[in-house]
Amino acid sequence: MPFLELENLTKQFGHNTAVDQVNLSVEQGEFVTLLGPSGCGKTTILRMVAGFEVPTEGNILLDEEDITNRSASKRPMGMVFQSYALFPHMTAEQNIAFGMHIQHKPKSVIKQRCAELLELVGLSDKGHSYPHQLSGGQQQRIALARALAIEPKVLLLDEPLSALDAKVRVSLRNEIRRIQQQLKMTAIYVTHDQEEALAISDRIAVMAKGRIEQLDHPEEIYSNPRTIFSASFVGSSNQFQCALLSAAEGICQAEKSTLHVLPQSKFKDGERVLVLVRPEEMSIEPATEDGQGNAADRENRIPGTIELRTFLGPFTRFHVRVNESMLLTADIPSQQARGFFAAQNVILAFPPEACQVLPLEGGQEELEKVSAAETV
Amino acid sequence: MSIGGTTSGISQPAVADNLPARQGRPRGRRSFGTSKIMLILVMLYLLVPLGAALWFGLQDPTSFPRIFSDPDFSQTFFTSLELATASTILAVVLVTPTAYWVQLRIPQARPLMDVLTLIPFAMPAIILAVGLVQEFNGAASPFINYLSLGLVPVLNNLNIVNTPPLLVCAYVIISLPFVYRPIDNNLRAINTSVLTEAAYSLGSGWWRTFLTVILPNIMPGVISAALLTFSVVMGEFTIAQLFSIYTFPIFLNNVGQNDPHRAALLSILSFIITLVCVLGIVLFARMRGGSESTAEIGAAK
Repeated sequence: MPFLELENLTKQFGHNTAVDQVNLSVEQGEFVTLLGPSGCGKTTILRMVAGFEVPTEGNILLDEEDITNRSASKRPMGMVFQSYALFPHMTAEQNIAFGMHIQHKPKSVIKQRCAELLELVGLSDKGHSYPHQLSGGQQQRIALARALAIEPKVLLLDEPLSALDAKVRVSLRNEIRRIQQQLKMTAIYVTHDQEEALAISDRIAVMAKGRIEQLDHPEEIYSNPRTIFSASFVGSSNQFQCALLSAAEGICQAEKSTLHVLPQSKFKDGERVLVLVRPEEMSIEPATEDGQGNAADRENRIPGTIELRTFLGPFTRFHVRVNESMLLTADIPSQQARGFFAAQNVILAFPPEACQVLPLEGGQEELEKVSAAETV
Repeated sequence: MSIGGTTSGISQPAVADNLPARQGRPRGRRSFGTSKIMLILVMLYLLVPLGAALWFGLQDPTSFPRIFSDPDFSQTFFTSLELATASTILAVVLVTPTAYWVQLRIPQARPLMDVLTLIPFAMPAIILAVGLVQEFNGAASPFINYLSLGLVPVLNNLNIVNTPPLLVCAYVIISLPFVYRPIDNNLRAINTSVLTEAAYSLGSGWWRTFLTVILPNIMPGVISAALLTFSVVMGEFTIAQLFSIYTFPIFLNNVGQNDPHRAALLSILSFIITLVCVLGIVLFARMRGGSESTAEIGAAK
């Protein structure tokens, strides 16, 4: 029996369906991230779990108890907000103590627990500071301590790192994960940042248009996406719209070239598919005389011209123009990228194993979802 | 890089340092002069009539002691003080939770609230007063009886027309714009809904959230609402006159009819008294804020 369970959870705002029949089970001590573009309903789900929104349909079960209609103040949830939401007229310590005062804990216990929590978030010396005297990262640490002070059964985090700058974001992200694991706290985390989601979660629910597209471990989400949306939203990828010539042999016909993929058992011959290749799976080599090189093996080789070379530290990103409509991206380790420059003719190569094949039927809608997410 | 480039690189900051300073000083002095003159002119505009009134009042040396020997002075003064205090408390207690509730639950009704609270501005006090007297002396039209959901007939049984409680209610109405505006502005300035949600998630109920989280953060708005209400009521004449309640402004007017010297002195006195009350509230608020900021400094050390 899962610890927290969402059953057919639906939320409509007027005619707009923000959350559509979502089912989600979270185990005790698990860290689940809701990942998706803005407007996908992830925050609405979190707000329904917290009790700030009433679901139009469906139930929320906590520890086998239906809490769907319980008021927010009676739910054992701790919430961390994007805007910190510390009480400005109270010191850090008073903020942390607020919830414990409501629980009528004895004063000595409150004082001791405040000190423990300040220690836990690494701000022992800031207990008497007011929120405006603290940096954004420090304020969010206090907010985390405040949420943990009431010993919640579930910790809810609503884009807690979005308002912070890049360095603090990474360090606080690790801190949140460390504390969550140390306390074995069940946590639901909402973010639109895929890197954050991959780094911090036990499981990720990729969301689009009020539905969960895929719910899986971070590694699976990245290397084995089930839908076109989760493949495109998590990480970047090169996409080829193909017709499957031979499912058994794994041959696809793209617009101008033939692609070799692994043998596909799930598809029939002639089916329309989308082939996805991650930029880091690509390798780059100088163009040869015949334009194909040793095309004997099953490796895919696509000739093109480097349009843009971007040095990104550990790797270098190449935008390679194949034809007017196709621009491929390749991430090459910077060591190997030394000899390649813009306007050079090259061949991009990738093995069949690097190709993910996804069905394209009803794919137009899928692709719209993807482009909608990209424009946001 | 050439040598020429380097030298200009060194010399330029020095020039750049000097230039704004050279230009800045005279400009600063000039603008300071203008603002000083403006300040003096405004002070003259405000203080000359007061000074003239004081000078005129002191022309008759007997008027000053006579003010304090007049029993009506202290009686009306305390009546007005009580009315002002009661109206201020009632207005703030009624409006603050309402404004918070509107902001939180039905923010789409805020334009309606804005208009409703501005109506007393648009309506002359005399209409309000005549209307109240007419409806509460038992001659209320059936239409009003229905419109008030039967409240007016019930209150009529209590015979409240021309009594201080009804006057206080009237004062609450005319001070609505002064009370609602600053409180609502303050509620918008703080992150009301998120702070409320944070408090809820920590187990706090509505009233507790309002009193311990929201109220301390909108104190500046509440205090300015209280100040404005207080000074409006201290000087209100029309409604009190029609209610036949002997308040300080009416006493002032009566005296002015037969003894202009005393009236001049009294108006100065009423100005000073109101000023002291207002300063008192401001100082009280500052002290509270001050103790907090000293606590902050102590904590920072």
